[in-house]
Amino acid sequence: MQSLKVSDLTLQLPDGTVLCDALSFEIAPGAVLALMGPSGSGKSSILSWITGTLDTRIRASGDVWLGDTTLTNLPVERRCLGLMLQQDYLFPHMSVSENLKFGLRGGTRRERSEKVRASLDSAGLSGMEHRHPTTLSGGQRARVSLLRTLLSNPHALLLDEPFSRLDVNLRSTIREFTWESASTLPTLLVTHDIDDVPAHAKTLSLYENQNEHPENVGPVRGHA
Amino acid sequence: MTRLLGCVIAVLFSLPLLVGLAGSVVPAIGLLPELAPGNGFARLFDDPRFQPSVLLSLKTGLLATALTLLITLLTLVCAHGTRLWRWLMAFLPPLLAVPHAAMAVGLVFLISPSGWLVRLVTPGITGLERPPLAWVVPDSGGWSLILGLVVKEVPFLLLAAAAQLSTINVESSLRIGRTLGYSPSRCWSRLILPQLYARIRLTLLIILVFNVSVVDMAILLGPGNPPTFAVFLLSLVNEPGLRAAASAGALLLAAGAITLIVLVLIIEKLIATLAAYRRESGHRGKALGTLRRVGQVVVASLLMLSVSAMLMLLLWSVARRWRFPNALPTQWTAENWLSRSDLVLNPLLCTLSFALFVVVFATGSAIAWLESERAGKMPRLDWLWYIPLLIPQVTLLFGWQAMALLLRVDGQWLTVAYAHWVYALPYVVLILAVAWREFDPNWNSAAAVLGAGYWKILFRVRLPLLAKPVAQAAAVALAVSVAQYLPTLLLGAGRHQTLAIELVTSFGGVDRRVIATLAALQSLLPLIAFVAALGIPSLRQSAKQESHAVA
Repeated sequence: MQSLKVSDLTLQLPDGTVLCDALSFEIAPGAVLALMGPSGSGKSSILSWITGTLDTRIRASGDVWLGDTTLTNLPVERRCLGLMLQQDYLFPHMSVSENLKFGLRGGTRRERSEKVRASLDSAGLSGMEHRHPTTLSGGQRARVSLLRTLLSNPHALLLDEPFSRLDVNLRSTIREFTWESASTLPTLLVTHDIDDVPAHAKTLSLYENQNEHPENVGPVRGHA
Repeated sequence: MTRLLGCVIAVLFSLPLLVGLAGSVVPAIGLLPELAPGNGFARLFDDPRFQPSVLLSLKTGLLATALTLLITLLTLVCAHGTRLWRWLMAFLPPLLAVPHAAMAVGLVFLISPSGWLVRLVTPGITGLERPPLAWVVPDSGGWSLILGLVVKEVPFLLLAAAAQLSTINVESSLRIGRTLGYSPSRCWSRLILPQLYARIRLTLLIILVFNVSVVDMAILLGPGNPPTFAVFLLSLVNEPGLRAAASAGALLLAAGAITLIVLVLIIEKLIATLAAYRRESGHRGKALGTLRRVGQVVVASLLMLSVSAMLMLLLWSVARRWRFPNALPTQWTAENWLSRSDLVLNPLLCTLSFALFVVVFATGSAIAWLESERAGKMPRLDWLWYIPLLIPQVTLLFGWQAMALLLRVDGQWLTVAYAHWVYALPYVVLILAVAWREFDPNWNSAAAVLGAGYWKILFRVRLPLLAKPVAQAAAVALAVSVAQYLPTLLLGAGRHQTLAIELVTSFGGVDRRVIATLAALQSLLPLIAFVAALGIPSLRQSAKQESHAVA
């Protein structure tokens, strides 16, 4: 596995507001960097820029690397980055196994079915291959969504407030499952909830005034 | 009260559908010898025009529908989110309002050998001094008709699809799909289109039935010998002694339409199975960059063709002298609009009389129906409104005409207006149903606790808040009425010369400039209605806000 590196990222809104200026960080395989900040501080824009899906009206400069390979000019689909958003976005015209197979790369039919079954077993979702996403609970949907992302064999994981829509009781279970599953990948977590951040994570805060943040976990910095 | 009104509307709407079907079945099987003597089916099968006209209708109807679907899906994949998409969304609604007959006339002026497209490159590129003889419009293969249908139906299907896109999370699906390694076009074909197709299926089937049974556009753009099946049946119903054959043909047309619908559903299942198999393979495929450009060129060309066809109508309607190969008239005049009252004014007034009736009664009945549905007095009967859209007009109207003849009500103004109402009501109900069903009931509760009764809530709260969709539905009612050719022809007994009737009847025999004026007028009426529908509620709202601000 390779590290995910962002160097000299500057994002500027059409009205001239600078969201971040010369931001740089590097995330090693297995490490988690939590990007924290209030709404509108540019957390999700940074993540969108890394995935290559940033709104074209936002001016951006900088480079993103995966190991020695620059991703900056690659189309989204060739960046090999796993993305999880607030909503699970399980495709409603596919069953659970079809959703997972959609993420899976390569293999014969039998191998693919086997991988799907094994991954469902590992997530405590045995026998749910043929279930429709709408029949799953919130926690089950979140796990299937993460499995789909991981089965696409990403080289880094980007999480945009993935736990915020889950109810409180489920959150800790899904968090644990996520950190276990992503243990070998460089992971960037965007959140404004301190409880989402695992103990071993580094934090990059986008709060302008650190005193405004009640549970400040790290210094303001342009580098992490 | 609302239940009674709902029942009356349902009965008034269903009755002509039942009567129309019965009126086609009874003469076809020889049970009405005084009106339709003989064995209808035998006479129909013996007619040498039967087989070629059926084959022509199948060819034009199926090809036009397949092309409409293909171009619509291609447009979505290739243009969604681009500047071209914004242009399409701005230009397509007015093009949708243009009646089929008017668009057909515009296309003839554009693509015929002496049309504008040839003029633009003549004599510069072609070196011709006379119109070329290489092709004619209408052509014997039905290709002009296919083009006309595609030009008219793509905006219909594309706008229906665009409206449904808001129910699918397009941006997020694209984002997730792309991070999973799929190109944008693959994301569209594997994630968005399968979800979207289920939502536009019914619209596609309506287009299919329309395309295989269209009459006015087929008369203007289709070949004459053999004509399409629906036009052939229309010629039979006007021939003495052949009504039974016409009725038998109308039943066959309905059966054929149902068979085609079933066929489409079977093909759809097969494609869905293949697509699921392909999707499950996880094969990422290549980005389809070339296809994207092809799609953009195709839809941009189609848009330009439609706009140019409309431009032709306007130019010919103000031309005094426009000889081949001039690209523009050499002499201009407003005479065609101002001093041909017999040819233009009378059809205009006749058209307006039906249109205003339909605007008032179709909008009123739709509101009354939805009110009764909202109050729980009537069930949701969406399937009922789709019936006249899924049964060929020829089938229903031949039967309806037979019954009108027996009851001696054919040719009466009210009979024709009633038919216009039946064909406009489904569109009005379906448009208003969305707004009515999504209306926040808390508005009603807020008014009720302030002491307002049912009528006060309806007229002071619900209708003002729903003014925009009501105005748009009224504009659609007007557009549908203005475009009605077959109901006016068959039930009007030649006594009601609307713009649609005058345009189709005069085509080919009357001066191009008069034809263009009639077609331009027929297009302008719904356009004006749509502009008014969009503008008046906004103007009223801003006037109110201004007066409140002053107060």
